[in-house]
Amino acid sequence: MAGSGNNRSRLLLVILLVSSLFLITLDLRGVGLTAGSRNITQTVLSPIQKAASDIFSPVGRFMSDVKNFGKAKAEITDLKLANAKLKKQAAFSSDTQGQLNQLKGVLDLAGRGGYKVVSARVIGRGSASTFSQTLTLDTGSNSGITKNMTVISENGLVGVVKNVTANSCIVLLMSDPTFRIGVRVARSQSIGVLMGEGSGSYTLELLDPSGSLKVGDSLISIGSDNNRPYIPGVPVGVVTNVDHTTTSLTQRAKVNSYSNLNDLGVVSVVLAAPATAPSKAINPTPRPTVTVYVTPTPTATLTPTLSTLPSPSPSKVKK
Amino acid sequence: MSPSRLGISTAFLFFVFVIQESVISRIHLPITGFSLYLAVLVCLISLEDGNGAVVMGFIGGLVLDLAPTSQSPFGQWALIFTIIGYLVSTNLESIGDFTAEPMTSVLFISVGSALALSIYLAAGAVLGENIGTFFRALVVIFGNFIWTLLFTPFFLPLIRRARESTLTFRERK
Repeated sequence: MAGSGNNRSRLLLVILLVSSLFLITLDLRGVGLTAGSRNITQTVLSPIQKAASDIFSPVGRFMSDVKNFGKAKAEITDLKLANAKLKKQAAFSSDTQGQLNQLKGVLDLAGRGGYKVVSARVIGRGSASTFSQTLTLDTGSNSGITKNMTVISENGLVGVVKNVTANSCIVLLMSDPTFRIGVRVARSQSIGVLMGEGSGSYTLELLDPSGSLKVGDSLISIGSDNNRPYIPGVPVGVVTNVDHTTTSLTQRAKVNSYSNLNDLGVVSVVLAAPATAPSKAINPTPRPTVTVYVTPTPTATLTPTLSTLPSPSPSKVKK
Repeated sequence: MSPSRLGISTAFLFFVFVIQESVISRIHLPITGFSLYLAVLVCLISLEDGNGAVVMGFIGGLVLDLAPTSQSPFGQWALIFTIIGYLVSTNLESIGDFTAEPMTSVLFISVGSALALSIYLAAGAVLGENIGTFFRALVVIFGNFIWTLLFTPFFLPLIRRARESTLTFRERK
């Protein structure tokens, strides 16, 4: 009896293990059934998450404030210092005002189109058991959101839309270890790849080993083909530490993001980048060239013997 | 394990899963987040014996695989918790009846949650997933262990009572 009981247990274990492996194989082969089940769960969960967000967001914010208390205090001190510095600089700004007006004109030209965005509320976050850094938004395909759209906050890049249902979507945060984005160093125009690390800091790898990189350099997104998944020109982060190791083939740096991903309440999903993106190629108009037409004037009658010979210059004719 | 209790346990696990995804994951705890679902599932597995632990592990894992924010293949958690259920069921006699001692139970659930996360990371590495730096993974596992250790005493008695109420007359004996 005990033997048959053991056999039944082993059979059950084998069946369940094989079922699990079968599901994993189906998912890795891209069968829609498994992805569909997660979409259904998201559709079911999003109204509950919305309600829970309204009720429990003060609790979440309180815990976040407690967590960031020291950081906030340091930030206030920094801001006070920066404010004093800015007041001093304002006195000397009259000279630069003229230059600024010109610069504004250039920037206005570049960003005249603007991005078409839809705003959304954050109603959920990736749980501790999934290891993924995600947000759930209360807006979905009914508002025009599709997969692979850029998500921005008031300060800069937040992430990219990973999954969409009718009334909600999941955003892969830029802090996720799988996140990669092409960025440009604003000062030197060197380009590189920014990688999430699962925490508040990021790693930047310059593509050009001789590229210039300094602490304090701002990074902006390069953009992708057809602006999917990333639109160009979004502020991404600031370099906080440059690794000057000579053994490395590429330059690496530590970066802090402009957006505080822990305190996001409302974000915007970019539906469309400007139709006339400044990154598009410009065909230069050719400068008009001067064409000179010469009308031959009638010359003196030449003898038939001379007409077949090249005419020598008069000075070289020997008499 | 009776079919009715299996149904009730599945519904209860789904309820905890919804709470986890809607409420618990919104709270920013220091170090890292707390997974109530993992703690409850490990607790239920530890209370079952034999085939019950394996089946509970498989169903609990499947519910966790439904997490829309998850990037791992569907079925990975089911595989992990089936293995954990089997390990618990085969070693229950050698471990002894720790469920009568509250502190040992809490410690077992905390270690079980941490073990589940570790196996998940190992399986993810085998399947080629990018889960970040090793240090970050350690912090997540350690943080979850600490929070499970602190919060489990609050809900463990409730789960045990709720489970006892679903036991059949034969199972009570």
